[in-house]
Amino acid sequence: MVPFTVLTAVAAPLEFPQIDTGMILPGRYMRRHRRPGHDYGEAFLYDLRFDEAGRPRTEFVLNYPAYRDAKILVTDRDFGCGSSREGAAFAVMDYGLRALVGPSFGEIFQVNCLQNGVLAIEIAEAVIHDLWRQLREDPGAEITIDLPKQLLTAADGTAHPFEISALRKDRLVRGIDDIDVTLSHRDAIESFEVKRRAAFPWLPTAWRE
Amino acid sequence: MSAPRTLFEKIWSDHVIVVSPQGEELLYVDFNLINEGQSFLAFDQLRMEKRQTRRPQQHLAVTDHYLPTVNRALGTAGMPNLEIRRVVEMLDENAKDFGLPHVGWYHHDQGIAHVIAPELGIAQPGMLVTCNDSHTATNGACGALAVPIGGGNQLRHVVATQTVWLKKPKTLRISIDGNLPEAVTAKDVILSIIGAVGVGGATGYAVEYGGSAIRAMSMEGRLTICNMSIEAGARIGIVGPDDTTYQFLVDRRYAPKGADWDNALAYWKTLPTDADARFDRELSFDAAALAPMVTWGTSPEDCSPVDGLVPDPSRIDDADRRRHVERALDYMRLKPATPLQQVSIDRVFIGSCTNSRIEDLRVAAQVLKGRRAAVPGMVSPGSSAVKRQAEAEGLDRIFADAGLEWRDSGCSMCNGSNGELVAPGERCASTTNRNFEGRQGRGALTHIMSPAMVAAAAVCGRLADVRQLSRQ
Repeated sequence: MVPFTVLTAVAAPLEFPQIDTGMILPGRYMRRHRRPGHDYGEAFLYDLRFDEAGRPRTEFVLNYPAYRDAKILVTDRDFGCGSSREGAAFAVMDYGLRALVGPSFGEIFQVNCLQNGVLAIEIAEAVIHDLWRQLREDPGAEITIDLPKQLLTAADGTAHPFEISALRKDRLVRGIDDIDVTLSHRDAIESFEVKRRAAFPWLPTAWRE
Repeated sequence: MSAPRTLFEKIWSDHVIVVSPQGEELLYVDFNLINEGQSFLAFDQLRMEKRQTRRPQQHLAVTDHYLPTVNRALGTAGMPNLEIRRVVEMLDENAKDFGLPHVGWYHHDQGIAHVIAPELGIAQPGMLVTCNDSHTATNGACGALAVPIGGGNQLRHVVATQTVWLKKPKTLRISIDGNLPEAVTAKDVILSIIGAVGVGGATGYAVEYGGSAIRAMSMEGRLTICNMSIEAGARIGIVGPDDTTYQFLVDRRYAPKGADWDNALAYWKTLPTDADARFDRELSFDAAALAPMVTWGTSPEDCSPVDGLVPDPSRIDDADRRRHVERALDYMRLKPATPLQQVSIDRVFIGSCTNSRIEDLRVAAQVLKGRRAAVPGMVSPGSSAVKRQAEAEGLDRIFADAGLEWRDSGCSMCNGSNGELVAPGERCASTTNRNFEGRQGRGALTHIMSPAMVAAAAVCGRLADVRQLSRQ
């Protein structure tokens, strides 16, 4: 996982509530293989970015030239609700985004982002509205997110603290993969498993037929 | 005496292996279900890292999302879309390479994972079950803690370690008390709840459903309720085990037998929430006040009793909500203040992990018996066992006589990943769980409702009140 520490980048405002993971990664793209960092970027919000003939919708915010290099998206309510498809987090990454800032997120999606190195953080709705306004008035303006300090600095210089679980913050800042941490607990897993199996011998097991 | 605890807290604490001072815990996974939807991403990575399955017998791979519901006899050769065929084949290969038990397209038990896990007795009270699917909470109706996980990184983690890192959710009890009125089903209950709390309203919570209406409900109904927990934002939905649960489980293939059954039952009876246990939040609903529901918008919270009107955005004060409703009506091609029952439809779909169990098919068939559907549509039973049962009861004939297609089981038109899509601009009355833009296909217009209401819509060719139909 690529570590996340301090990011200063162009931010795009996406004023559109309840964008579900099926809009972030339309189902027809889920059949694709993926090399990390590639392949899913094209699919990201495809039906919002392109019309039925595949032409860019010029009125859609991410198609404005000023946002071409955006690495931060300031989202709307319930961004990433719906389906658990982890590919939605990969689409965000492959499109080139490193951080999502919004009033609320779908929980499965948010966890998928954090575990894959994309920072997805909640900021109060009133602040989000103010960020949108600043970004609309000055397209291409930058936002700074300092994860170690848990501080977001808006284009106008105002700083906003944000919350994140200490565990996710630590793993993001150090770029640690969950599985490596888990395997350091191998013995604890082993003994837990033996005890559980003895206490609940009826727990189901299946066979390959 | 230990402090009173909730059902959720009892199961959660029984599965904690490592408590992290940083606020997430490592939990043991008793059983994991795997569907083909992007699980290839996990297996690609596991292969690359040369990792193996820690406990192959505690997994069941189930082919459900990409499997067409026609031409099954031809196997993968009957799948004309090569990309779809490839996804189905990949799960065959991945299950084989990683030693995983697999219910594939050819299998006697084939069905939707969340239909067959309860049906086979895999989901049992007190278990922690995971699946790379957001509707995993369905299994919570059996008294299990059933948690959705991502199909890439998280699935890879569960396969390699048989554990999952989770932040402990807060607890929310939703009580539904009283008697449900005529034609008001589990689907109407859960849609009413989602309409009241919103799609993000239960985010961060584990929901326990209780109250006399839940107690009186069949397992099929409870499965429908828990299924849509995620549509209110909750990853976990659960119902305390009771006699209905035990009677449902007894003699199922993977359920405990003999002395194990007695021991299991004694343990299960310790699980329900203690009388004085506290929840972080409580909500209650009056069952008698509920009505048959339909959605009008592009989010499951956009729902209304069927005798209502399409909302008028100009009368909505909250600016964000108004923006959403304006966009939703534009996408759904609906005019404000139109009576919902004047909205004509182009097709119907009965199926999905929400409403494809035998009781759902019986209710829909009861409405359709002796009637003709005014629009085309299809019925996809939730599992091969449900299909066999329905055929034994003659339900397939009723659907066919009404003009609807009787299909094989799978996720099918709920999200169309198997290629069975609603055409752009086509309006579909559907028993499924999501009506987000493009869910059933690009430009598809989805209205979700109960099986009885879809059957009524099929007969009338428009959104319709099943209560009026049954009086005719």
